[in-house]
Amino acid sequence: MVRRSALLLVMAVLLVAPLAAQGNAAAREAFRAKRVPQQAGFRVFIVPDMEGMGSAVDIREVIAGNEGEQYRNLSSPDYWDRYRLLLTQEVNATIRGARQAGARSFVVNEGHGGNLFANVLPWDLDTAAMLVRGFPKPLVMITGIDSTFGTMIFTGAHANAGSPGVMAHNFAFDSFTVNGRRLNEVGINALIAGEMGVSVSLVSGDDVLVAETQEMLGNGVIGVVVKRAVGRMAAITYSPARVRRMLQAAAADAVRREMAGEFKPFTLERPYRVEMKLRRGYSDSLVNTVAGLKDWQLERVGDRTFRLTSNSARDVGYLIDAIEEAVLR
Amino acid sequence: MTRLLTALVLSSLVLSSVARAQNRPAEPAPRDTTPPAAYFGVTEYRMAREKLELDMQRTGFTVYIIADMEGLAAAVRNGTEMRPVSRGGSPQHERFRRELTDEINALIAGARAGGATQFIVNEGHGGTLFRNVLPELLDTAAILIRGYPKPIVMSTGINPMVDAMMIVGAHANAGSPGVIAHNFAFDSFTVNGKVLNEAGIAAFIGGEMGVPMALASGDDALTSETREMLGPIEIVTTKIVFSRAAAAGFPPAQVHRQLREAATRAVRRVRSGELKPLALARPYQVRFCLRRSYDEWVRTTVGSLSGVRPDGGPGCFAYASESAEAVGNLLNEVEWTVLKP
Repeated sequence: MVRRSALLLVMAVLLVAPLAAQGNAAAREAFRAKRVPQQAGFRVFIVPDMEGMGSAVDIREVIAGNEGEQYRNLSSPDYWDRYRLLLTQEVNATIRGARQAGARSFVVNEGHGGNLFANVLPWDLDTAAMLVRGFPKPLVMITGIDSTFGTMIFTGAHANAGSPGVMAHNFAFDSFTVNGRRLNEVGINALIAGEMGVSVSLVSGDDVLVAETQEMLGNGVIGVVVKRAVGRMAAITYSPARVRRMLQAAAADAVRREMAGEFKPFTLERPYRVEMKLRRGYSDSLVNTVAGLKDWQLERVGDRTFRLTSNSARDVGYLIDAIEEAVLR
Repeated sequence: MTRLLTALVLSSLVLSSVARAQNRPAEPAPRDTTPPAAYFGVTEYRMAREKLELDMQRTGFTVYIIADMEGLAAAVRNGTEMRPVSRGGSPQHERFRRELTDEINALIAGARAGGATQFIVNEGHGGTLFRNVLPELLDTAAILIRGYPKPIVMSTGINPMVDAMMIVGAHANAGSPGVIAHNFAFDSFTVNGKVLNEAGIAAFIGGEMGVPMALASGDDALTSETREMLGPIEIVTTKIVFSRAAAAGFPPAQVHRQLREAATRAVRRVRSGELKPLALARPYQVRFCLRRSYDEWVRTTVGSLSGVRPDGGPGCFAYASESAEAVGNLLNEVEWTVLKP
């Protein structure tokens, strides 16, 4: 009796699952087609991450502990709470500077997976800004980007996986290259935005992130060094007040120079030949999940290395979404 | 109904397997003894120093402050007051982070009044992996070095452009009758036969670069032993020790005032050439014994570090070097062995 009902239950699940997936696909298309409301004036798209923000050095300062099993022991809410406020204040300083230079519309998209992309304190954020928060969301770090934005700013960004920076990593990858060029998270998002004609004018983070991103984008992007890495979780840091002053001044400069057309969007030659290597630490089942992602024809060329050729950076972004979802599920 | 039954059966199966897993005697996890040098940042002293120098002004007077916690005004209990909830401590730690920040700010204010123009604060307390000062409440002129691992834990980035070192919240040496008295991972540590506590080791590393230790604050055991070790430097006694976890504390506000005044005097005395760097004869003959409480694997790992040779009893070693910086790196590798997160 019990066995038969268990069988029925399994069959029901098997029947329902594909239907649910189809529903998800339709919803996903609808979500991807949505845009944040249009606003008049020069528009700035801000992506705040946390690893590269002022003062933060340890993963326990940027993780809430509710992101999944692997993060439970890395939680330190007593520290994370404090850094949420500092993060929000960094974003506010950036908005203040951009506004001084004439920007009038601000969209802030949570770029940090801590607390599943809900770190900025909505009540303390500049009241002119729209805040994109939560997960999953289409195009994780740049959900809501479109061609109406005048410029893009990354704050609190961290160095690439393998670089000697504070909490350095790159989404779910040990390495990610397009046409043979190594890209960090800023680079990947810059490429997607670049297809829409939007350029990156300012990045802030540790000295390693700033140097590698300036070289990667090659468009004279302004860099604000808010700390100098002396270990994977140690840094020479400055007063949050000083960091905010630096960000405000740099954001004003960035918007002014963007308005003058000084920064080129980041583009690479099509088709994009993407090669990505998943993190060493990931389980075989996770690697197999990625290998089995239906909507992409991933060519498996190594233990955990995949290749893909695409004409659309945005599609590559959606692939990264799917991988992030598999990791954070 | 049948579905409910199935769910119950399934969940009871799951629960019982969890219970079995919990009852199983824990197998000792294999200890990771990767050589510390393989980890980015552990022996990168020079890189840290170069990066710090990029941020330093070439003129004026620079004070380098080491921030520990055991010697703070009113602090007596390690488990609750010097350890955050996330590392098995208590919410009271937050209040003592504030006290630490206040005491550093008092030192900075006093040093500024004495003519100092630049301030570097290096986190020296490992209970939170070197993250105790509250960045948003620290004097905004200060540079704060925080996190772990960082090169030469308590003297990260120290260089000849620094004019004076100070240590706040310091504790007495291992074996001394002080609040939470200890000395890194050691039961004893000597250079050329001279006993050094943590303040003394920092003074030794700074001394080689011509930087004097000008001020130490902590309990009466710390202040008296440090004066004996380093001579008539400025001291501020924050409390009178009654046991390893009890003391008669001076009011924090009074301690802050004394720190301000002592820091002003310290800067003036360094500027007038009255306080000199600690100089020991080369080659430095270092002898140390690891804490007796450590497991065998710690002794084995430390014994296998380059240049370290057995000396005396179990867990005791000798190391000779022409450079205090090399001694600092050795210290770093020992810390990494016992503190690796």
